[in-house]
Amino acid sequence: MRWTARTRTGLACAAVALVFTAYSVRLVELQVAKHQEYAQLAAEKHTMRQVIHARRGLIFDRNGELLAANVPVRTVVADGSHVKDPAALAKVAAPYLDMKEEELRAKLTSGRKYIVIRHELAEDKALALWKALQDAKQRGLYFEPDAVRTYPNGQMLGHVLGFLDHEGNGIQGVELTMEKSLRGRDGYRYIEHDRTGREIMLYRGQEEPAGHGLNVRLTIDMGLQAILEEELDSAFRDLRPEMAVGILVDPNTGEILAMANRPCFDPNRPGDARPEQMKNRAIVDMVEPGSVFKIVVSSGALNEGTVNEKTSIYCENGAFAYGGRILRDHHGYGAMGVHDILVKSSNIGSAKMALMMGDTKFHEYVRRFGFGERTGIKLPGEIPGLVHPPHRWDKLTITRMPMGQSVAVTPLQMAMGMSVIANGGRLLAPQIIRSVEDSDGSVVLNEPPKVVREVVAPKAANFVSEALSGVVGDGGTAQLAKVAGFTVAGKTGTAQKVSPAGGYAQGKYVVSFVGYLPQENPRFVCLVMLDDAKVASNLNYGGLVAAPVFSRIGERAARYLDLVPCLRAEPAAPLALRGQKEERTN
Amino acid sequence: MNANRRKQINPVHLSSLVRWLLVALFIGAGGLFFVYIKNQQFALAEEIRQVERRIATVRSQNETLLARVTEFSSRRMLQQRIAEGFISMKPIQDNVIARLTPPVQASEDGVLRTAFNEGIRQ
Repeated sequence: MRWTARTRTGLACAAVALVFTAYSVRLVELQVAKHQEYAQLAAEKHTMRQVIHARRGLIFDRNGELLAANVPVRTVVADGSHVKDPAALAKVAAPYLDMKEEELRAKLTSGRKYIVIRHELAEDKALALWKALQDAKQRGLYFEPDAVRTYPNGQMLGHVLGFLDHEGNGIQGVELTMEKSLRGRDGYRYIEHDRTGREIMLYRGQEEPAGHGLNVRLTIDMGLQAILEEELDSAFRDLRPEMAVGILVDPNTGEILAMANRPCFDPNRPGDARPEQMKNRAIVDMVEPGSVFKIVVSSGALNEGTVNEKTSIYCENGAFAYGGRILRDHHGYGAMGVHDILVKSSNIGSAKMALMMGDTKFHEYVRRFGFGERTGIKLPGEIPGLVHPPHRWDKLTITRMPMGQSVAVTPLQMAMGMSVIANGGRLLAPQIIRSVEDSDGSVVLNEPPKVVREVVAPKAANFVSEALSGVVGDGGTAQLAKVAGFTVAGKTGTAQKVSPAGGYAQGKYVVSFVGYLPQENPRFVCLVMLDDAKVASNLNYGGLVAAPVFSRIGERAARYLDLVPCLRAEPAAPLALRGQKEERTN
Repeated sequence: MNANRRKQINPVHLSSLVRWLLVALFIGAGGLFFVYIKNQQFALAEEIRQVERRIATVRSQNETLLARVTEFSSRRMLQQRIAEGFISMKPIQDNVIARLTPPVQASEDGVLRTAFNEGIRQ
């Protein structure tokens, strides 16, 4: 072959073309054939899915008082590959993180890409640390947004509000039942970052904004809640019961205005509480209701026409032999009408009314009052109570159940049962959620009052209501439940405490008072229940222990609600005159 | 100079030179403009990032302060302050109340009232 100029030029061109062809082939391989693979690798290295955290909804009382809020905090994380000098970084950051320098340095030298350094760092501390890092020209620490739930009122309403676990999920109270509404939906955005870890805004990718949680407005009135809690606290301190429960309900709507338990806990520090402190006993504990249950048999018998306003029932002078046992009254009574049976709280009179009704009919009324089934309140853990069907009753049950034995109910069921009498015979579903609103206050979900069923006719309910006002009047069992200026209706309950070993615990009583005011147009029903108050056995009655607590709550609640007194004042004699009068009577 | 030698002289074609120079300048300017725009975008993106960070910081500080205000104005804190004697509640003295109508006293009609304005409200 002759190496002419043309041959040499041709070879050189061919060589260059070959080289460029090789490059082109490689380029096509990289850009086309392996595009997917390398794009994935690049994305993994530089692109990340950044979560935009949804803000949890707030909880308000019915008047807009904030009950649960969010405090922004930061989670401090480190990227080991971005840390150049762990010792220097640890020296700058340790004081802000409340950590030992050595401990922080050990974490930073692990070299991992994602190291959680500290949870829940306060926002101001995080800002100060960020500035310190900028000044010291250190990098590798990053601040992820987070929030902690705070309950400004501490223990107050703790059982109703509940609390969150460390991942921000509601695990008790309204926080649990309304989790779906409160939680919201996290958003996301795809971002790219440079080798220093800073986001390259220009390449910000697809973005889905966070849907913040909805706000929940409760039916609770914090003014009334504070009154209830203060009085319950005072009773818990003075009488030292094992537990105390208080409930205030609007009998016309079924709205829970206040609900409190003792012992209680602070939802800001649930870890410090014992399990028994965290129980919302108003719905998760069942007790024998005692004489409060007499409203069921009397209103049922009146409604069925088994008895009427004038029916006289012989109360056996205080000792009634039935089923081989003797049923006793506190005092011996002769013949009494339904009104007086309630006022005097006669066990025998109530038992005889139940016998006249028959077990099936009586059981039907017990169930119609809502006992033995969950009320459906939007709080977790509610129990239905215990009401056996008639075929499981023994011979004595028909005489025991009317006075609140052989049956177990929750305090909330008792309050709702009394609401039936207060509102003219309708059983309402108790409500704790008033509405669900979005962040600009628009109502997303409204909860109207729900009538479960018509239990008794208004006539029967009104008659029982009149009788219950006699319970608080002169000669009644709950004179200490009086509230100055108002007609109060209510019923005491004194039940022997059921022993876990079986039978009844000697000398231990669950005492209660459930009442409402004003009797003519009830604005609230209030239940006070104390379990095993430390008073002498002969004084441990609902009328002596729970009724005075009710009276104090009722008086303060009436003042708070600005109710117009309906009774004429009993003008107090001036002190000077009173002294003279006392001298004369002595 | 003979005709053959004259032919070997390559004349500079000014018009095409200018044309190509313009094309090169245009491409160069386009490239520079592209880089300038790109830098502008990066700078603006960085500004947006800073502003976003500032907004997030201010929003967080605002929420922190709101939570603190809520805490300090909560019923529990107020009750605690009353108990500690930092604040106290006193009944409004009669001489500092301006009344449009004289109050109805309980002694006049025997009806207890929780507030003096009930007569008006009814």
